[in-house]
Amino acid sequence: MKVTLKDIGKKYEGREEFTLRNINLEIENQDFCVILGPSGCGKTTLLRMIAGLNSITEGDLLFGDKRMNKVPSKDRDIAMVFQSYALYPHMTVYDNMAFSLSMRKERKKIIHDRVMEAAELLQIKDYLYSKPSDISGGQRQRVALGRAMVRKPAVFLMDEPLSNLDAKLREHMRVELVRLHKQLGTTSIYVTHDQTEAMTMATKIVLMNDGKIQQAGVPDEFYNKPANIFVAKFIGSPTMNIIEGTIKKGKFISDDELVVITPSVSDTEKLLAYENKKVSVGIRPERFESGGEFGDTISAKIDVVEMLGKEKILHVKLDNGRELTISTPGHYTYNENEVHSFGFDIESIHFFDTESGNRIN
Amino acid sequence: MKNPFKKKNKLYLSDKQPLTPLGVVGLGLTYLVLAIWVIAILWPLAQMIISAFNGKQEQYIMLNDNFEFSMEHFKYLFSETLYLTWVKNTLFISITTAIFTLIMVSFTGFAYSRYRFKGRKASLMAIMLIQTIPTFAGITAYFTMHSIISSIAPWFTRQLMLILIYSGGGIAGNTFILKGYIDSISSELDDAARIDGCSSMQVYRLIIMPIARPMLAIIALWSFIGPFMDYLLPRVLLTNPKSYTLAAGLFTLISDFRTLNQPAFAAGGLLTAVPIVTLFIVLQKQLVSGLASGSVKG
Repeated sequence: MKVTLKDIGKKYEGREEFTLRNINLEIENQDFCVILGPSGCGKTTLLRMIAGLNSITEGDLLFGDKRMNKVPSKDRDIAMVFQSYALYPHMTVYDNMAFSLSMRKERKKIIHDRVMEAAELLQIKDYLYSKPSDISGGQRQRVALGRAMVRKPAVFLMDEPLSNLDAKLREHMRVELVRLHKQLGTTSIYVTHDQTEAMTMATKIVLMNDGKIQQAGVPDEFYNKPANIFVAKFIGSPTMNIIEGTIKKGKFISDDELVVITPSVSDTEKLLAYENKKVSVGIRPERFESGGEFGDTISAKIDVVEMLGKEKILHVKLDNGRELTISTPGHYTYNENEVHSFGFDIESIHFFDTESGNRIN
Repeated sequence: MKNPFKKKNKLYLSDKQPLTPLGVVGLGLTYLVLAIWVIAILWPLAQMIISAFNGKQEQYIMLNDNFEFSMEHFKYLFSETLYLTWVKNTLFISITTAIFTLIMVSFTGFAYSRYRFKGRKASLMAIMLIQTIPTFAGITAYFTMHSIISSIAPWFTRQLMLILIYSGGGIAGNTFILKGYIDSISSELDDAARIDGCSSMQVYRLIIMPIARPMLAIIALWSFIGPFMDYLLPRVLLTNPKSYTLAAGLFTLISDFRTLNQPAFAAGGLLTAVPIVTLFIVLQKQLVSGLASGSVKG
C-alpha cells in the first residue's frame, strides 16, 4: 500500500505553535521507511497521525488513493508495534495475538491458523500459553510483532520497537526485522532515534528535526550527500567535523585561519558563487589522511585516544584549542601529546552554506 | 583466619547491620508497644465472643469467670428480634450500593483518567472538596429530597434514599482512587486496543477493567462494608424497625431498656462479621494480585 502525506500539519490543543507543518512524503508500496530524528522532533506524532491515534490538523493522508484523515484506526488496515510492546497483561500470548482477529469476528479456525503461522515464523510456539509477565523482554518483543502480523495489515507501523532491548538482542532483532519485511513485503513505517537502525534497515530514511523533514532518501545518500549541516551532524558516529570559514580566491580558509583547503575541481565551480561568503566545511573523521603529505595539511596535537579495536578515535587539538575528531585504523600507533599533520581526502569534503545550512556541492 | 561475621557456625544472612545493645532494647520496646496494641484490640473482641456464647450472662454483660456454653443468645436474636430482617435489609443496601458504585466509578474513573475535557480539573477539585464535608451535614436536604422524589415516585423508599447517599459518597471518593490506578496503566494499551478494533467501551471492558480488577475489588469491598458500619444515617432516616439495617437494629438491643439484651447484641455483632468475611475471602485473590506487571517492560 502506498502511503502519501500531503502538507500534513499538527497542532496540539492548548499549544501556540504547530508541532508539525508542511510534511510532504511519499512512501512507496513495500518500502521500509524509517522516520529518524532526535527526541521531540515530532516523529512519533507523525506516526500516531498515520495510525489515527492523533488527529490531523491540516493536509491529507492517503493510503493508496483513499483519504484516511477521518477514518478510525481500526478501519485503516494497519497494525502497530509499540515501544513498550503494550501487550495485554491479563491475556496469554495466544489471546494477545488472536485479539484483533477475534474483535473482527473472524472464524476460530482462521484465527488459530494465523496465530500458529505467525508463531512459527517468530519462533514463539513454546510459550503461546504463558502470560506476558512470564516471558523475557526479547520474547515479548516477538509477541508484539506477532500480534501485528496476524492481522496481515496493509501498513505496518513501529514506534521504536527495539529501544527496550539490550544491545546484542537489538542487533539480532534488526536483522530479523529486515528478513521479516522481505518475507512479508508489507509497507512498513518505523520510527527511531537510532541512526544505526535507520541506516541498516531502511529502504528509505526520513530525517526530521523541529517538525520539518530535513532530508528524505536512501541510506547511502544520507551518509555521503547530507542535505544540510543538521543531517551531516546527525548521521555518522563519531560526528562529522564542521569547520566554519570563508571562500577566498577559490580556497576555503577557516575563521581562525588554521585550516586552508583547496577544493576539488568540480567543487570549485559550485563554490564560485560563494566567493567571500561564509561557508562551512564538513569532513567525516575517517576521511582524514594520515602518515604522509597530501597537499593541504593541518598539524594537530593528539589530546585523547579512544581505542575501539578496529579503529582508533583521535581527539586532536589545533594550535588555538579547536577540537577535531579523527578516526584511524586500529593498528596504527598514535600516542597522546604527539603532534601529527593530517591531510584531507579532497573528494569527500562537504561544503555547506553557513547561513542557511544547506549543502553546496 | 577467624571470620568475624561467623557466629556459632551460623551465617549471618540479614542485609541489616547486627543489632547493638541499645538496638535490642529499642526493638524490645517496639514489640511491647505492638503487644499492648494487639491486646487493646483483641481483648474486647474476645469478650464479645465469649459473652455471645456464655449462657450465664443475662441482660447486662458481667465480667466474671462464670461460663457455660450455650446458644441461647443466638436463639433470642432470631426468635425475639427482627434480626433476619435487618440482615436482609443491610445486604440489600450493601450489595446495591456496591454494584451501583462500581458501575458509576468505572465510568468516571476511566473518563477522568483518559479524556481531556472542559472543566475536568475544576470538577475533580470540587469532588475533592465535597469529600471534606461530613455526609450527615446534609441530613435535612436528604429528608427534603426524599419527600420530593417519593411524592413523584412512591416506590422510592427511605432505604433507596440511603443507597443513593452511600453510593453518591462512594462514587466521589472512589473516582479519585480508580483514576489514580488507571493513570498508572500505560495508555499505549488503549492505543493498541483501538487499533485492534475496540470502541471506547470495549477498551474499558476488555482491557482496562481486567487490569484494574484489584482496585475494583477494593472499591467493591469498601462500598459493601460501609452500610454495615454506619449507624447514624439509617437511625435517623429509617423510622420503622422493620426497615432498619443491622447497625441501627442491633443498637436497639443496648439503647432501649425495654429491649435491652447485651449478650444478644454481642451475638448479633459477631454474626455481622460473617458476610463481610465471606466477601473478603471471595475477593482475596483479586485483592492481592498484581496483574499489571509484565504488560509493559518494567
